[in-house]
Amino acid sequence: MSRKFLETETPAWVQDGLITEAQRQQLLARYPAEAVAAIGLLPLLGSLLLGLSVLSVLAANWQALPPTVRLGLMLGSLLGAYAAGNYFLRRGNRSVGQGLLALGLLLFGVDIILTSQLYQLVGYDASGLLAWVVAGVALSFVYESSWLAALTLGIAAAVQTYYAWVLGSFSYATALLSLGGIGYYWGRRPSVLLGQVLATVVLWQAAALVAVSHSKITWFFIPAMLLYAVGDWLPRAPAATRALQGPSLVAAYLFTLGLALFGETDQYAGLLRPPLLAYLGALAGVFVVSFIGKRRQGRLASLPDWLLLLPGFYLPGGLPLAVATLVVLYCYAGAVLLRAQRATDGSGPEQLTLGAVLFVVATMVAYFRLTWAFLDKSLFFLLGGVLLLSLSWYLRRRNAQALANTPPAPDERKFPPTT
Amino acid sequence: MPITILSAGRRRLLQLLLAAQVLYVLGVAGAGYATSALGQHLQLRAAPINPAELQTGNYVRLSYDIGNVPLTAWRATTPPQRRQQVYVLLHTATPDSAATVAGVYDQTPTASTGQAVLRGWVETVQPRRLRLRFNLERYYVPAASPLRREKPRRLHPLLVSVSVAPWGQARITAVQLRRTEPRPDTAHTQLQH
Repeated sequence: MSRKFLETETPAWVQDGLITEAQRQQLLARYPAEAVAAIGLLPLLGSLLLGLSVLSVLAANWQALPPTVRLGLMLGSLLGAYAAGNYFLRRGNRSVGQGLLALGLLLFGVDIILTSQLYQLVGYDASGLLAWVVAGVALSFVYESSWLAALTLGIAAAVQTYYAWVLGSFSYATALLSLGGIGYYWGRRPSVLLGQVLATVVLWQAAALVAVSHSKITWFFIPAMLLYAVGDWLPRAPAATRALQGPSLVAAYLFTLGLALFGETDQYAGLLRPPLLAYLGALAGVFVVSFIGKRRQGRLASLPDWLLLLPGFYLPGGLPLAVATLVVLYCYAGAVLLRAQRATDGSGPEQLTLGAVLFVVATMVAYFRLTWAFLDKSLFFLLGGVLLLSLSWYLRRRNAQALANTPPAPDERKFPPTT
Repeated sequence: MPITILSAGRRRLLQLLLAAQVLYVLGVAGAGYATSALGQHLQLRAAPINPAELQTGNYVRLSYDIGNVPLTAWRATTPPQRRQQVYVLLHTATPDSAATVAGVYDQTPTASTGQAVLRGWVETVQPRRLRLRFNLERYYVPAASPLRREKPRRLHPLLVSVSVAPWGQARITAVQLRRTEPRPDTAHTQLQH
């Protein structure tokens, strides 16, 4: 709660007899003015400026320095950042300590790149960057820091992108090290944020693999749903499960949406069709794994998530495909709304908002795809406006009813992590 | 929450990790140094892809004459594939000391005296020609290099000194201007860049 909010609102509370004037003063004393916090930032800003000036002097004269001096500076700043990070952590200043350790890890990568440049070793070979990922994984384990683990995943994603983009190849070692190492770390100390980063980086690397191998892009959903199935098997809290499964579902939803929008041309749908038996076999295998996991963990309510994976793109392009995809989108939105009403873990309001948004999206897509061809333009916009307004009124009413029935969750106004 | 005070075991691990990072960076530097100290030296004709990069960037991209070879130089039973690793056998004892292609192999060929082997990768396979890359296509131009003072137009013919380590790694050691006029056939290839 901000000081400003208290200052403007509390006089009315006193007037209404909610609190006394003395209590109001106590409340205000609890949240001192923010000027103090701003003054606390000054030394940080000052040291940042000093650091930047040193950096710019070095950058300007970098080429003129002899190689040994350059190496010394690079290694000195690397060790300095780690030592300072360790020092601040020991004094209990977690954020500064972790920030400096992260700086040390980033400097290691910079050192590898600059040293390769110094000796003209940079071309198309990037195996040296693998050492960067190894160092990140090891550092995350030494300090048991989820923050460093997330940074390592980011580094791995960057290295993999470089491999795919510049070299046109996929680094299995990077994928194995980063996902295996940090995945194991997440298994031991799960956190929602790290789960989301982990799932996103898994999908990123899967996409890189599919792009590099020039496969049909639909193959991406086999590893993506395998990750989803892993989430089904892990006995975690609903929030942690959603963190791991969310990115896969977002990808599947966006894909289905794209199919509804552009799937009418057989040309696009043709780009998506992998060999029928191989793809369906793999997908069915993953589905069975996911289903068994859901049943063991008592999460069969989330089974309709698999609606998004229905391989509608095997249908002939044109109207049948568009209609079938729209039906899937509506069914999914309906399933989310239904699940929201039955939710017992406090995620009901979140799910309800999500379901409402999905419902509106499906309606808009249906309207744009199917009505444009048959109606006069002005009538089209008129009907669309009326349709959306009435839909929002209806959903708002249902939302209000549902909120009145469920005990409010602490963060009910926030969007769920899956959006 | 990170660990704030490391146990003795973790402290030891951290020290090992830091030592490994420092050694790795030193190792990269050492490999670069050893490649020129122990390696075989050869010279290659090249042209900058965009001479203006010397004014705007800190590296220049190079296109090598030996990176564009006729398919008749291919010495393997299977046809070349994109991204395949290949070995280029070079004649180094040429009149103007710039190496020329003797053949492109998919296995390491044995080099006799006056020859060298350079590792490369197939970039594209054209109907009659093969385009190769060597991981040497980027040259970070030192600030003191005389190339920096050249007018962009004059920079076309370059002679690139390359060292090839016994373990196959190659690096550029120097780039200088090629003052001699290019032969007619190389002039033809340069027009294509």
